[in-house]
Amino acid sequence: MSVRSKLEEAVICLKAGRVTLPYPAQPRPVPENFRGRPIFDAAKCIGCAGCANNCTARAVLVSDVCQEIRILKYVGSRCTYCGRCAEVCPEKAITMSHEFEIATGSALDLDQRLEIFMSTCQRCGRCFVEPSPLEQLKMKGYRFDDLQNDRWIFRSRAFLENDTVVDDIAIELD
Amino acid sequence: MTARARLEQLKQQFGTSILRADLPSDTRLFVHVEPSAVKPICRHIFRDFDARYVISIGIDDRPFSGTFLVAHDFAFDKEHLLCSVLTQLSPENPKIDSISDVIPAASWAEREMRDLVGIEPVGHPYPKRLVLPDGWPDGLHPLRKDVSWDHVPKDFDEDREFKFDDPPEGCTVVPFGPFHPTLDEPAHFRLYVEGEMVRGCEYRGFMVHRGIEKLAESVMSYNDIPMLAERICGICGCVHSVTYAQSVESAVAIHPPARAEYIRTIMLELERLHSHLLWVGLACHIVGFDTLFMQSFRIREPIMWIAEKISGNRKTYSMCLIGGVRSDIAPETKAELRAVLDKLENEWRPVVAAVSKDRNIQKRTRDVGVADKKLVKERGLVGPVARAAGVDIDCRRDHPYAAYDRLEFDVITEQGSDVWSRVLVRAKEVFESIRIIRQCLEKMEDGPIQLEIKDELPAGRLGLSSVEAPRGESHHFVITGENNRPRRWRVRAPTYQNLQAVPAMIKDQQIADMTISLGSIDPCFSCTDRLETIDLRSGKVRVWSQDELLALTRKKA
Repeated sequence: MSVRSKLEEAVICLKAGRVTLPYPAQPRPVPENFRGRPIFDAAKCIGCAGCANNCTARAVLVSDVCQEIRILKYVGSRCTYCGRCAEVCPEKAITMSHEFEIATGSALDLDQRLEIFMSTCQRCGRCFVEPSPLEQLKMKGYRFDDLQNDRWIFRSRAFLENDTVVDDIAIELD
Repeated sequence: MTARARLEQLKQQFGTSILRADLPSDTRLFVHVEPSAVKPICRHIFRDFDARYVISIGIDDRPFSGTFLVAHDFAFDKEHLLCSVLTQLSPENPKIDSISDVIPAASWAEREMRDLVGIEPVGHPYPKRLVLPDGWPDGLHPLRKDVSWDHVPKDFDEDREFKFDDPPEGCTVVPFGPFHPTLDEPAHFRLYVEGEMVRGCEYRGFMVHRGIEKLAESVMSYNDIPMLAERICGICGCVHSVTYAQSVESAVAIHPPARAEYIRTIMLELERLHSHLLWVGLACHIVGFDTLFMQSFRIREPIMWIAEKISGNRKTYSMCLIGGVRSDIAPETKAELRAVLDKLENEWRPVVAAVSKDRNIQKRTRDVGVADKKLVKERGLVGPVARAAGVDIDCRRDHPYAAYDRLEFDVITEQGSDVWSRVLVRAKEVFESIRIIRQCLEKMEDGPIQLEIKDELPAGRLGLSSVEAPRGESHHFVITGENNRPRRWRVRAPTYQNLQAVPAMIKDQQIADMTISLGSIDPCFSCTDRLETIDLRSGKVRVWSQDELLALTRKKA
């Protein structure tokens, strides 16, 4: 009987009552391990670039301006919020925050920029603790990503200068 | 029959044409054969062994073996065996005998191979461009290793038009898509219509082809790809990341810890739950029954929330890595998940009871979009479409992966072959998924969730994996490679096979039934290349070119 099934369907609807949440007046609290906008802590960051090498969306760019200073740029508009950066960071300098209302008129508002003092590091890749060989650094040595155009450059200075060894570390050329 | 016995049978029949065979386990068989023997062997496997055709893969292997490779994958569902027939082709002008005339299901795969790798299927019954955009230059094959991943062809011809076939005599062409209110993604069907009746159609899709395979093969690394794979589909993303991880794991023979397998199973079943509820809602929406559309989405929402609680995101779980999963399920979350399942079961039961007697829905779906057993076999249809035609296949049981070999569940089949049967199959599978998750929660033991991988993965190994996605079998083929990334990764989503049967499903039925017939396979196409704006006052039409649109979207605010 179709009338009966119509009545049953009406009961289902009536039973449900009102389910719409009063958003945005009262946003639903997000769970503890929610992956919102990642926050980079410059005080903890050692500039190992593990996050940049394991970012699936290439949202973290690295540029070495000189021996002592490395710039890390997080391009927020490209981020997919997978949380891999926070997971592989050896210093736990990245936290996945609970921020999800990040709509903005300017994509640049989402970017974060860190300038890290590198002491005498030779960018050997040793300070990045590889969780497994699958998370190895793709590129050791100095890096010169295109921060202006948010582009990864798959070349290190070793490549540009045709030098296969930086300090005692053999560099893989692409 | 075991894999070895099947191999012996093949050897008896074809003798020296079989160059070598690899049997890495009881459930995988790789047969390397002479190029000239590919067609008879495939025909023998498909017709005489009655295996199910899965996919064909073209591989540019020139940097490694100096040849092109072609692989045809088959599934022996009753024998729990996945089989791949491989052959090497000359590096200059690679050609292979087309198998599409004996296995119609291979038609798209061979056309794709021709477009993307440039391997010519000789004797293909319909050798038309399939994947590449209209203006893409001939002779440039993007999946070849000498084409860089970010290559933009300079001679891309913006104005080149795709040549559609002429409609049969007496038929009018009704364009359906690229954008249509009932399609969530772009696809273009040219329906040949005689009065109210559809007599045939031509399909032009792949408008959202994003070059994911090329990206993975050239710039990503093993553990990046699960997140990329997850974005193949907005609904069954977890399926693709798990299938990818399993195919790599099977290639290099590593086994994730038991707890990780249970967690993967739970996430896959949660995904099936939300997908089936979404589909039932959308199917009702397509036939104009929005009440139930609203109710299934309401019932579905707690599943999204519990998935968010477990993984950190309501849909893109990003849970899977090679050798395990990223987050564990806490005891209190377990209790919460049980409560969600109980509530879901209590709410879904009356819905199924009401719908299964609803004559209005039945009138719109019975004997509509029929795909019978023969079509299922010829076109290699999978998932609820096959099961609704009485074909008892389900990868969870036939090719067990993750923790499914330790769980009890029924494979739901119906006999009607029509859209109504597909509604019933999906509605009932919801209860099976609930049963599976409950068993997982019961059986999973404490332990690590991620295998410790100490060495780099060896290169040149072949891996296959099939996972039962909500829409059917999702199949991935992987060749491991150097530089911490696969050499070749081929994804076959279930819709790839199911969509090929749509022209047969909609033939000789009313044009009004087109939407639900198409909707019934739960199609998953996935951005656009052109936009037209019309100034209403002057009536002037401005067509935006692809370049202008790209410039517009990339312009920084």
